[in-house]
Amino acid sequence: MEKLKSLFKKIKWKYAVNYVAIGAIALVLTALTMSGGIKQSDLFLLEKITMNIILAVSLSLVVGFLGELSLGHAGFMCVGAYFGGITSMLLESSGIMAGDGVLSFVISMVVGAAVAGVCGFIIGLPALRLRGDYLAIVTLAFGEIVKTIFQNVTFEIGGKTVGGPIGIRTPRFDKQYFFIIGFVLVLIAIAVIQNLIRSKHGRAITAIRDNEIAAKATGINVTKYKLCGFIVSAVFAGIAGVMYSFANSNVTASVFDYNKSIEILVMVVLGGMGNISGAIISATFITFLDVRLQSVLTGDLAVLNDMIYALVLILVVIYNNAPALRPFREKYNARKLLSRFFGFFRNKHGYADDEGKWDRVPTKIDMDELLSVDVIVNESVQKPDKEEKK
Amino acid sequence: MDFLITLVNGLSLGGIYAMIALGYTMVYGIAKMLNFAHGDIIMVGGYAILVFLSVNPILAIVFSVLFCIGLGIAVEKAAYKPLRGASPLAVLITAIGVSYFLQSLAQIIFGASPKYVIIADLGSLVIGEVSISYGTIITLACSIVIMIALTLFVKLTKTGRAMIAVSEDKDAARLMGVNIDHIIMITFAIGSALASLAGLFSLLRVPTIMPTYGALPGIKAFTAAVIGGIGSIPGAMLGGILLGVVECVCNSIPTVAPYTMAIEFAILIVILLVKPTGILGKKRREKV
Amino acid sequence: MKTTFKKVLCLVLTLALMVPVLAACKSDELEVPSFSDSTIKIGLTGPLTGGTAVYGTAVYNSAKLAVSEINEAGGLDGIMFSLEMIDDQHKPELVANSYATLLEKGMQISLGTVTTAPGLEFKELSYEDNVFFLTPSATGDAIPEYANGFQMCFADSNQGTASAVYFNENYQGKKVGAFYKSDDEYSTGILAKFEESLDDSFGSIVKASFKGEESDFNQQVQALKDCDIIFMPIYYTPASQFMTAGKSVIKANAVYFGCDGLDGVDAIDGFDINSVPQEVSYLSHFNSNATTGAAADFIKKYNETFDSEKEPLNQFGAAAYDCVYAIFEALKAAKAEGKNIDGSTSASEMCEILKAQFTGNFEYHGITGKPEADGKSSISWTENGFVNKEAVKYIVKEAN
Repeated sequence: MEKLKSLFKKIKWKYAVNYVAIGAIALVLTALTMSGGIKQSDLFLLEKITMNIILAVSLSLVVGFLGELSLGHAGFMCVGAYFGGITSMLLESSGIMAGDGVLSFVISMVVGAAVAGVCGFIIGLPALRLRGDYLAIVTLAFGEIVKTIFQNVTFEIGGKTVGGPIGIRTPRFDKQYFFIIGFVLVLIAIAVIQNLIRSKHGRAITAIRDNEIAAKATGINVTKYKLCGFIVSAVFAGIAGVMYSFANSNVTASVFDYNKSIEILVMVVLGGMGNISGAIISATFITFLDVRLQSVLTGDLAVLNDMIYALVLILVVIYNNAPALRPFREKYNARKLLSRFFGFFRNKHGYADDEGKWDRVPTKIDMDELLSVDVIVNESVQKPDKEEKK
Repeated sequence: MDFLITLVNGLSLGGIYAMIALGYTMVYGIAKMLNFAHGDIIMVGGYAILVFLSVNPILAIVFSVLFCIGLGIAVEKAAYKPLRGASPLAVLITAIGVSYFLQSLAQIIFGASPKYVIIADLGSLVIGEVSISYGTIITLACSIVIMIALTLFVKLTKTGRAMIAVSEDKDAARLMGVNIDHIIMITFAIGSALASLAGLFSLLRVPTIMPTYGALPGIKAFTAAVIGGIGSIPGAMLGGILLGVVECVCNSIPTVAPYTMAIEFAILIVILLVKPTGILGKKRREKV
Repeated sequence: MKTTFKKVLCLVLTLALMVPVLAACKSDELEVPSFSDSTIKIGLTGPLTGGTAVYGTAVYNSAKLAVSEINEAGGLDGIMFSLEMIDDQHKPELVANSYATLLEKGMQISLGTVTTAPGLEFKELSYEDNVFFLTPSATGDAIPEYANGFQMCFADSNQGTASAVYFNENYQGKKVGAFYKSDDEYSTGILAKFEESLDDSFGSIVKASFKGEESDFNQQVQALKDCDIIFMPIYYTPASQFMTAGKSVIKANAVYFGCDGLDGVDAIDGFDINSVPQEVSYLSHFNSNATTGAAADFIKKYNETFDSEKEPLNQFGAAAYDCVYAIFEALKAAKAEGKNIDGSTSASEMCEILKAQFTGNFEYHGITGKPEADGKSSISWTENGFVNKEAVKYIVKEAN
């Protein structure tokens, strides 16, 4: 008993809370499905939530921790969905195994994730040279290029031509149980990314975000860590893509446009930059809002869907980030309220160890602004000098 | 001969992109935010013209410009100003929110179906086999005039210099007595006025408007602004023209046409890899 | 004090923003009951927002019109019909949720989806649960793949072949061009079949394309300026933009030849079709400007009930109107055969009843297709779920 107690004390609850919460939810839901107590629409919602959590957490690595703005996350997802889908189709058409089984999913996932990882590497390369918004548009460009290519290329599978605008018809996993796979993958994604961030490598990544030059000066291999961040993020986006191909019976490239990338970015930013639990919560919240608004606002009311979504977005972002509202936020802080209820989870040092104050994280973009000093003398500065000489 | 026609077409399209990109680059250079709602201001401008078109075209255009300026300032005050000093990404997200908001508002008011807004049939100038519509000439001339005027405004007037100061260093500018809120408001007013003019010129070229109209030009203008170098006024012009010509050349070759967007973006990536801050962008060195 | 003022101001501003929204949302007079146990529940999904919303709105309005008419006339021996439509924004990923939600609300019969891409997802889901659907406008060849799926519109390959046959018969020796949307399955599907069935004597056809939400076709018209006939398997909005751009570039005696998507081109607000010098015609099942027969009555009723400037009618709507009536007639016939049909019949039972009707010798007389002596067209369905009716070549306007 004593041992168990000390073990309990040793666990850093701040980190474990994600696993425990998600694991518990998954178990309860599995039990509910087994007993038939869960509706089909809820199952679809769960599939979507798990997919979006993986996407948000993986994008959070690049945007929140590496400090690079990426607008092409859907491109990696597209690569994963297509390559994963094609793999499962090939497996099925060649008669090796059923395309919609767990084994087929695992093989497709490996293929999809690997190809997405390669794409992540390719996109990581310009990231070494470009910064801020210039990199953002390169990622956006990547996403659109991938989409355009898959929209036009056709493949030959099992004697049938597939692909093109109509997309590919992929085997579909049993919809009753797919969300369980989703939850397992969410746990894996969180475990990998959270541990990466807590490790030596993670600290190197955050150091690059906070000040690249200083990081370089301390001997951090910036090239390696930037590429590593992009590759890990792309691999998980690819996995989410493979999930998409198994959750739907058709994969069309037009789904993965820049609006999808922005949707994921919104989840990351709403959750708080560099905050994994936040990304999980906001991915869940936004997906829920989106799907439920769609079901509730039927017929003539459907036009209100986007409007409500937009207003919620603007208000939440302003509430979360406006400097003028800081005292108000500090007074009614969700984390504070939670910790009052669950004082149990509070560790000795409180919450502010390496997470810092996340209400205003200096991102790569404004760090540039803060630190840069123009060496090349600007015209507008030069002019008064000339006048003085006269 | 065919190529000449394609080129003229490209210049005409490029003029519109340039006009949008000028507004985009102004806002970016000074407020340091990616204004994803810029494209939707164009759409609003188009609908604003539609409202008063039956009364008088000139009145409609004036109303559209004024309405867009008002809208630009209102959006800035309501959605962007509270976030001054917060992470730039937060502003990016509210800009996206504003974009969704304007789109769905337009659908509620005007319906989802496209509207034809025929302002005037200006006819076209025929030189040999090439015919250039007067709309094209006006668009190009206006965008060049606006580019020069903006450059002069920024360089010569007090407000313009204050804008440069704000874009260089906000805090130092504040210390020197520049009213930052005021300057950013003026920037948004100029950007929105340019967007409404871009709406007018694209209506001269393609006389239709629908709620989702703004998204594509918005992205194209963002691309153009980046190719030219964000924050650079001549750069935006150059990027816009380049993009317009590339698009028309690609669309004239049937086998390449489906990949136009991919080719434009590929060119963007190549340019950025060669010149990381765009063709005419300023170099920034970092010192520790 | 100041912050309180700001907060109040924020609240007032937000409310002020909501006012036009709520004001604009007043529903039209048409009363359609929402899902309840005592009604026969019809559900569908389609784009009600986004770039393709104009098609979804027309379908929704027309289906509502049909349902309210049926209910006013007493329903199915006193049993009323109810209708619900969920927005899918033309996105396949949103269909699973819309479908499941409708089913849980009690949907018994479905009109499927409005567009093809989401329809491909819908047919798989509905097959698993054995739910009958008759789609007004998802034209993909694969839509009626399973026994539970039927189409009211012509399938893509059918339209492509029919157009090619018409070309082979009427336009021999002319130079053919095609203007299509390269990222749209409707457009590429029809074009592929069209090229396949076109006689070799036409030689190669000149092609120009666009994609996404592009609306500037000044370049594309240049590529097609030498053609005598331009085949346009696209929807009417881009077609009208193409015609505007081609006014003085395309040969004045050329012919624009489209498929069912072109219907509605003469009804766009502010677009004067007569300013286009070329001939505009299409091969379709419906003409929104019909002046005779049952179709004209429907068009009149639609324009009286809805704001035709904001929510214009097109062939999508007409097909939806026919879908509702076809289902109603089929249910009536089944009831006459002694089947037990009411609001509590399960979706699967309903599916079997309707499948038996539609694949049997059921014939429906409606507004889409070639009108016969009584002003109505005769429509039946093949074993595979494809529609069997006659297409008509409508000439929207002659060459000037």
